[in-house]
Amino acid sequence: MQTNFTLAQLADPETARSNDILRKCVHCGFCTATCPTFVLLGDERDSPRGRIYLIKAMIEGDRAPSASEVRHVDRCLSCLSCMTTCPSGVNYMHLVDHGRHHIEETFSRTLPDRFLRGVLAYLMPRPAAFRWAMVLGRLAKPFAPLLPATSSDPGGATFLRRMRAMLEAVPDRVPTPSPVDRPQVFPAIGLQRKRVALMPGCGQQVLAPEVNEATVRLLTRLDIEVVNVAGSGCCGSSVLHVGRNDQAIELAKRNIEAWLREIDGAGLDAIVINASGCGTTVKDYGHMLADDPAWHEKAKQVAALAKDVTEIVAEVGLSNVTPQPLTVAYHSACSMQHGQKLDVLPKKLLREAGFVVKDVPEGHLCCGWAGTYQVLQPELSRRLRDRKVSNIESVRPDVIAAGNFGCIGNIASGTGIPMAHTVELLDWATGGPQPAALM
Amino acid sequence: MSKACRCLPETVPQVSAILRYCQDNKVKVVPRGAGTSLSGGSMPVGDAILLGLGKFNRVLEIDYANRSARVQPGVTNLGITKAVEHEGFYYAPDPSSQIACSIGGNVAENSGGVHCLKYGLTTNNLLGIEMVLMTGEVVRLGGKHLDSEGYDLLGVMTGSEGLLGVVTEVTVRLLRKPTTARAVLLGFPTEAAAADCVAAVIAAGIIPAGMEMMDKEAVKCAEAYVGAGYPLDAEGLLIVELDGPPVEVDHLVERVAEIARGRGATTVRVSNDEQERVLFWAGRKAAFPAVGQITPDYMCLDGSVPRGRLVEVLAEMREMSKQHRLRVVNVFHAGDGNLHPLILFDANDPDELHRAEEFGADILRLCVRVGGVLTGEHGVGIEKRDLMGVQFTEIDLDQQMRLKCAFDPDHLLNPGKVFPQLRRCAELGRVVIHHNKMPFPDIPRF
Amino acid sequence: MAGTIRPRDANELRRAVEWALNEGTTLDVRGQGSKIALGKPMDCGQVLDLSGISGIVDYAPEELVVTLRAGTPISEVEALLAQRNQMLAFEPPDLGPLLGLQAGQGTLVGAMMGNLAGPRRLSAGAARDHLLGFSGINGRGEAFKSGGRVMKNVTGYDLSKLLAGSWGTLAVLDQVSVKVLPVPDQTRTLLLLGLDDATAVRAMCAALGSPHEVSGAVHLPGRTALRIEGVAPSVEARLTALRELLADAGAGMEELGTLGSRTFWREVRDVAALKAASDTVVWKISCPPTEGPAIVARIRSQRPSVEAFYDWSGGLVWLALPQCVDADHELVRGAIGAKGGHATLIRAPEAVRAAVPVFQPQPAALAALASRVKESFDPKRLFNPGRMG
Repeated sequence: MQTNFTLAQLADPETARSNDILRKCVHCGFCTATCPTFVLLGDERDSPRGRIYLIKAMIEGDRAPSASEVRHVDRCLSCLSCMTTCPSGVNYMHLVDHGRHHIEETFSRTLPDRFLRGVLAYLMPRPAAFRWAMVLGRLAKPFAPLLPATSSDPGGATFLRRMRAMLEAVPDRVPTPSPVDRPQVFPAIGLQRKRVALMPGCGQQVLAPEVNEATVRLLTRLDIEVVNVAGSGCCGSSVLHVGRNDQAIELAKRNIEAWLREIDGAGLDAIVINASGCGTTVKDYGHMLADDPAWHEKAKQVAALAKDVTEIVAEVGLSNVTPQPLTVAYHSACSMQHGQKLDVLPKKLLREAGFVVKDVPEGHLCCGWAGTYQVLQPELSRRLRDRKVSNIESVRPDVIAAGNFGCIGNIASGTGIPMAHTVELLDWATGGPQPAALM
Repeated sequence: MSKACRCLPETVPQVSAILRYCQDNKVKVVPRGAGTSLSGGSMPVGDAILLGLGKFNRVLEIDYANRSARVQPGVTNLGITKAVEHEGFYYAPDPSSQIACSIGGNVAENSGGVHCLKYGLTTNNLLGIEMVLMTGEVVRLGGKHLDSEGYDLLGVMTGSEGLLGVVTEVTVRLLRKPTTARAVLLGFPTEAAAADCVAAVIAAGIIPAGMEMMDKEAVKCAEAYVGAGYPLDAEGLLIVELDGPPVEVDHLVERVAEIARGRGATTVRVSNDEQERVLFWAGRKAAFPAVGQITPDYMCLDGSVPRGRLVEVLAEMREMSKQHRLRVVNVFHAGDGNLHPLILFDANDPDELHRAEEFGADILRLCVRVGGVLTGEHGVGIEKRDLMGVQFTEIDLDQQMRLKCAFDPDHLLNPGKVFPQLRRCAELGRVVIHHNKMPFPDIPRF
Repeated sequence: MAGTIRPRDANELRRAVEWALNEGTTLDVRGQGSKIALGKPMDCGQVLDLSGISGIVDYAPEELVVTLRAGTPISEVEALLAQRNQMLAFEPPDLGPLLGLQAGQGTLVGAMMGNLAGPRRLSAGAARDHLLGFSGINGRGEAFKSGGRVMKNVTGYDLSKLLAGSWGTLAVLDQVSVKVLPVPDQTRTLLLLGLDDATAVRAMCAALGSPHEVSGAVHLPGRTALRIEGVAPSVEARLTALRELLADAGAGMEELGTLGSRTFWREVRDVAALKAASDTVVWKISCPPTEGPAIVARIRSQRPSVEAFYDWSGGLVWLALPQCVDADHELVRGAIGAKGGHATLIRAPEAVRAAVPVFQPQPAALAALASRVKESFDPKRLFNPGRMG
């Protein structure tokens, strides 16, 4: 499409990159069809194409966006379904991140909104603080029903409505920290075939420590040495998606530094990530640090080693499988299928592990979790979750599998069908314990 | 009104109230479905309300026994098929934007698709609509039965580009999926050979379900997006689909392959299964936007010509491409002579933009000159509006505008589209009578 | 008795209309007058006879298009197409004998003006779906055109659709381009014997809902026929599949070959079943296919002697009722019910047609719109005034 940036504007590398992205878009509108918020709301501005125009207008005009423009960009889940659909190769992910960054820099949000976003941005990357917040949240949860359950305007939720969503997201039981989440080395059980770093993550180790445990068991059983590298932690995606680029970059640098130390030391064949949201971000570190010459190459090196856990399992292959006669509905997380383009592989592994795997209708639609989205946009998030649950239930599975802990928690909150991480099922089928959710 | 404004109604009474208000206050209205038009059909104009039908997105009724589906206009074209495919049915017209385009928009544009050679356009697959007139009156045309009791207003609404009324409900005919369908990829060393093959297939009495052509550049872009295994060396690629019972498909595939070989085809590849057939089409259907990979902008044209003139038109287009110094990529419905040349240009370069428009106009004039028309399925919209005079006389256009007056006497609906110059209905309605003229004596009378 | 004016070309035609406009004379527009007994009786100042503007202008078999002048007899067109093994796929019926006139008369443009279609309407569409373009004269005496000669065309409003089925009330055409199709190699017919109306319609709907491309589905008393056309191996395979599909209906089955099929479907097309009893009035009802039997049952409960058969898989009901002054129009139209449809009085004495609505009356908003549409073409109401009442 036509753009109207001045030469001065194009001197800014972020703007120059956005110009290139915009020039690819031919505004065909294919993306609208697979965008969850457009499907729900039927408003062009709640579609990728609409947002592209909104973001273009604000960065081209070099101006603060209006509250209404911000509202529509805020409603984006960053599910990237549009990128799978786009035949022209528009990198919406980078454009919307630029848009959010621009909003964060130029738009002044209301005080309660800033407070809430500040709290989320503080807590999300810090597992210890996050755990304490969960414990406190647990105490406050019984009071959630006193807060409003709906807002008059879908997507324009009030502070109290968001507070309620936040409390509702607190699990009834906060698990104790897992010993695997401390820096250490887990040797391969047999003859070592690979050596990988396991990204410890942030929210997942608090809410679902069993995922890292299962990952370590599965990989070491497949003769892979697993390192939990000191200094590595949150990937930065949760703060990036609320427009806090600087904070995200700091987190990314910390990880890159830690893993490079390990790469230069004992060496790494891969950096394994078992939360697909984080995987999408780490694989994009090269772009995130593109404007920092001191870090760009290092970031690219790390990003090239980043792998979803299913990729590494597929490389070595499953062995000694004891099939479990269960029907699995595989929920393809957005970050997995759209962000990392991994859709077939996890299902293939589950089939190899002896499960009957079913696709879910409307599989391209997000479940509504999308990180902080479930708190910031509770109505839309809930409608998407309910739609996802009814689609999943239509294939009548025994268990639901997914490769992203956020989706698991979110979907599980709306259905009685047990859920497990793909890795837990693979671990079980190759000699590990039965996943807790199935017991 | 000085400021643009949009409405997103959710019910028919709301649509009716909006239109009635607009009629009473002489406010212009631009109706809009999914906004995928390739002729600027739903492009907003400054002093008009934009009436979005995006919230009308429910399937209302499916009646398998009478093979019909009643849906709201914002349901996507593919959405209809998705709603009935588990019972083995589908909705036949399949414009390439079917994933996103709305059925209401299909009615407005009389959309075609890659399968209309055998199964017809929207107009041939539409059973009824409910529409709101500018006065706010709600009328139903057709239903689950065939043909009209009076004038075929359903037929004239189809392809009226949102100038006559706002469609609020659509009843379409469903078809049962053919037992088998196979697509054949035919690669030719020249475009002319491919075009020849098209004419020869039709001349042999074969009406394939679809017969599409792509040139080398289009093949390259589509292949990069879907990886369908298109032959990258072919100058002209045909995708021919044959459907029916397996014996018929096998029989026809062999006959088509034979005709193609006789015209020098270098690649003959038949889809082995449904997955592969869909893949063959996926590349074709994404071909326009896929061209976005190699150019910042493109202009997609839609002239329709007699099949027999394809070779000549393609050759002349290549010449024009040199003259205007702009590349042109061709993806089109060869079976029905409907061309889609894509002119590649850079809209940020004002000279290129200007040349692209000139080039486009030249191509469309060429289409009319060889006995074709300006637009086969995309509509006139804003894009071809100023070329209407190439195909029609002033009287032709006056007659069309008078029809518009019967529906919308104040020219409030979708203003600025289709007609190059507007004339007031009062002026158009005047009848000139010359009294006391002698009857013409030379015409035979009894 | 009105005089006749018979122009020999488009220019004379335009001048004739101009003359009528200036004189304020209404025109009874005809090709060969083969459907003059259909529609509201008219009282026009002048007959405008188009039979002098006749002949094929261009026939391009490989383009699947024929262009011809308005007065060209349908028989001439069909004979020409047959030479190249092509046909008018919408099967324009010959209603002459049904209307008590001669067989084999009529022009193709006349069939277009009535939007007539035979059994293949189901799969190939009606006349409207085959009219690609035309030129003609509007009620202002202006020569205008619409459409073209190509298969796909959305340039401007689709006036061809509007003109098809307008019974000559909007404009007088001088030339049309019509889509043609190859004649199928083989035509065969599966006959199911002894089914009642409801079962027969269910069987026909099941056949139409199958992937076997049925191109004709008619239920006559005691006989239900399904037509299959195409290349020989395909026809064979589809017939076998249909037999299996319909085995549950429990009917005896027979088959007609290509020649037998052609005769059979021509008779269905021409409504031969109802032509004999000339003392009846004949209606046709267009309705959702599954509704056909219920509509007939409602009428039969009042008029036990009604004769009926179902074409278009039940979606086109032909009725013959004993003559009476109002042709039972309230009974017939009342029987259609809420599921939608419309009834047209096809055959009745002139006095009856003058007294009752021949075409289905429309709701007020729609009727007003139709009247404005008429005015946009023919503001002085010169052409066939009142024919579509």
